[in-house]
Amino acid sequence: MTKRMVLPGLSAIAIVTALYLALGSSPDVFQGDFVRIMYVHVPSSWLAFLAFGVTALGSALWLWRKTIVWDRIAEASAEIGVVFTALAILTGAIWGEPVWGTYWDWGDARMASTALMLFVYLGYLALRSATPDPIARARRSSILGLIAVVQVPLVYFSVTLWRTLHQGQTIRPDGIQMDGSMVAALLGGLAAFTLLYFSLMVERVRLARLEDENTISDSVAAGAAVTSPNLDGIS
Amino acid sequence: MNSALVSLRGVGVRFGPTPVLADIDLDLAPGEALGITGPNGAGKSTLLAVISTLLRPAAGTVSVFGSPVLRRDLPGVRRRIGMSGHEPGLYPELTLLENLALVENLVGDVRMSAMQVLEVVGLAGAAQRRASTASNGMQRRTDLARLIMTRPDLILLDEAHASLDSAARDIIDRLIHRTCEAGGGAVVVSHDRGVLGRSVDRVVEVAAGRLT
Amino acid sequence: MTRATASGFWKQALSIARRDLMIESRGGEVFGVVLPFAAVAVFVVPLATDALATRLDQLAYPVFWLVGLLFGMQVALRQTGTENLTQRRTLALMGIDPAARFAGRSLAAAILTTGVMLVIAPLVVLFYDPDSIPDIWPSLAAIIGFALGLSMLSTLAGDVTVGLRTRSSLAPLIVAPISVPLLIGASQTLEALIRDRSTMAPALLLTVTVLSLAVTGVLTAPALEEATT
Repeated sequence: MTKRMVLPGLSAIAIVTALYLALGSSPDVFQGDFVRIMYVHVPSSWLAFLAFGVTALGSALWLWRKTIVWDRIAEASAEIGVVFTALAILTGAIWGEPVWGTYWDWGDARMASTALMLFVYLGYLALRSATPDPIARARRSSILGLIAVVQVPLVYFSVTLWRTLHQGQTIRPDGIQMDGSMVAALLGGLAAFTLLYFSLMVERVRLARLEDENTISDSVAAGAAVTSPNLDGIS
Repeated sequence: MNSALVSLRGVGVRFGPTPVLADIDLDLAPGEALGITGPNGAGKSTLLAVISTLLRPAAGTVSVFGSPVLRRDLPGVRRRIGMSGHEPGLYPELTLLENLALVENLVGDVRMSAMQVLEVVGLAGAAQRRASTASNGMQRRTDLARLIMTRPDLILLDEAHASLDSAARDIIDRLIHRTCEAGGGAVVVSHDRGVLGRSVDRVVEVAAGRLT
Repeated sequence: MTRATASGFWKQALSIARRDLMIESRGGEVFGVVLPFAAVAVFVVPLATDALATRLDQLAYPVFWLVGLLFGMQVALRQTGTENLTQRRTLALMGIDPAARFAGRSLAAAILTTGVMLVIAPLVVLFYDPDSIPDIWPSLAAIIGFALGLSMLSTLAGDVTVGLRTRSSLAPLIVAPISVPLLIGASQTLEALIRDRSTMAPALLLTVTVLSLAVTGVLTAPALEEATT
């Protein structure tokens, strides 16, 4: 096994193990087998927060050090974060329907703020794709990355406040009664997803570097793009 | 510290993957007017942007007014630099006078009032005209008036002669002359050597991102 | 970076704000274009409902804040309030503190947005006939706080996207989700006034959000200037 395969290999083993733990754990008293969705949902949410935290860190370090790798890390992490945020929302909805009786519950502050966070980082990625020049892209998106990290906690608090001001009916059952096998399944999921995050990050950052190397050519300098006109061609 | 007004050493600039300038060494002495020429897309304007401190190069060092440009000194250094180009950058909704009055308000310490300087450039009669209805030549004169008003120590002109009548070109030449006389300097970019000939002391050529 | 002295900072900021307001007084983009458009929006919402059966009075405040949000963004991102590259470079070379520029542009946009919302408010009352109307002065404070925050946020988003071809849709995409604390802070303050509850929590949220945007804007201004000149 080459060195590059170590992290993906470990992630694969961890995911298989987590899957085994999740399917083998005992069902919940109230939720029955639906609780198993939580073993995907909770790790996805955790990854989303981890990923966006890393994006903010990468943005700050890029602004400070101006080393391009920090920008690549910020970008890679935002992309992974968006995917896992979407997964968290989706699994939450799939779980919510049988357990809460609804796909979407405005009474739950986390759902609304997670969805808003998804939009914030979709905007971040849209800004990146709209800026062709890598340096300009790094500069602008690092600033947005910082604005976002200051504002996202406020979004979370504001939605929580909004919910408490409108105390609706609570349709959810009491907290999950966790036995040992369920704790193991949850921890297994968290560990597997975290490993998956790092292996995706390594690959995505490597890909970004290859993209840049592919387009950078030292031989072409300015002016070479414009050559003498062929005056004979004008008849 | 060094005595040159502007000093570039080993400057390199790239726009994303494309290198635009490479290994530029350049000095501007006090009292000197330097011309930069070269074909379209050679990197002339980029070089001027580096000298103006607006563009930070990827490689090399830039010293302006005798010391390297540090982030914390930027406002002070920039206040002593004046740039004018082929695009005047006035606010089209405001009159020529209001455009200059804005400069007066923002800079505070100016040599002449907005109205006085409009007289100097021969636009007193057009003071109340909105920039959007003024001709390109009038807008360019107004922009030059800004430099006369703020009297920077370093004047940077990017194709500033293009499409100007000879009277307006005289304004430019006079501005360069007075600035250099006072120990300042000027860098004038033009693709036209003939234009540079009458305005500057020395001409360098940029070709394919390098000085030749 | 050497900041302009405190008086210099405000002098620069006010000059910039004055410039923007003068341009608006000539160009009329906000009061001649954005405001009528916002009024139309207020007017057409009932037409999209079964106005006779629906309790329009319940839509009054949501429509007011939604129109305020969407058109407040339009105000801050208006074409005549956007500096072109030459103008940005000229200001930078005059040694204008980028933070003062941010403050001045946000201030002008906030004044214009407040104006738009104050015209929209009576229209909403007229067309939707809400059950109760909150006290004027605290409501005005909430509207001004909302306009200030939204203007700063939109000015930041406008600067981050300046010069990009997709700016007109990209900047609102950036602003909308981040504006939620402002929206909740301001709308819940008004609702608390109507229901005679304590405005403490939402007003505090609004204040904290406005302050955090001001600090973020001032701190990122130099980097943003470097990215856009």
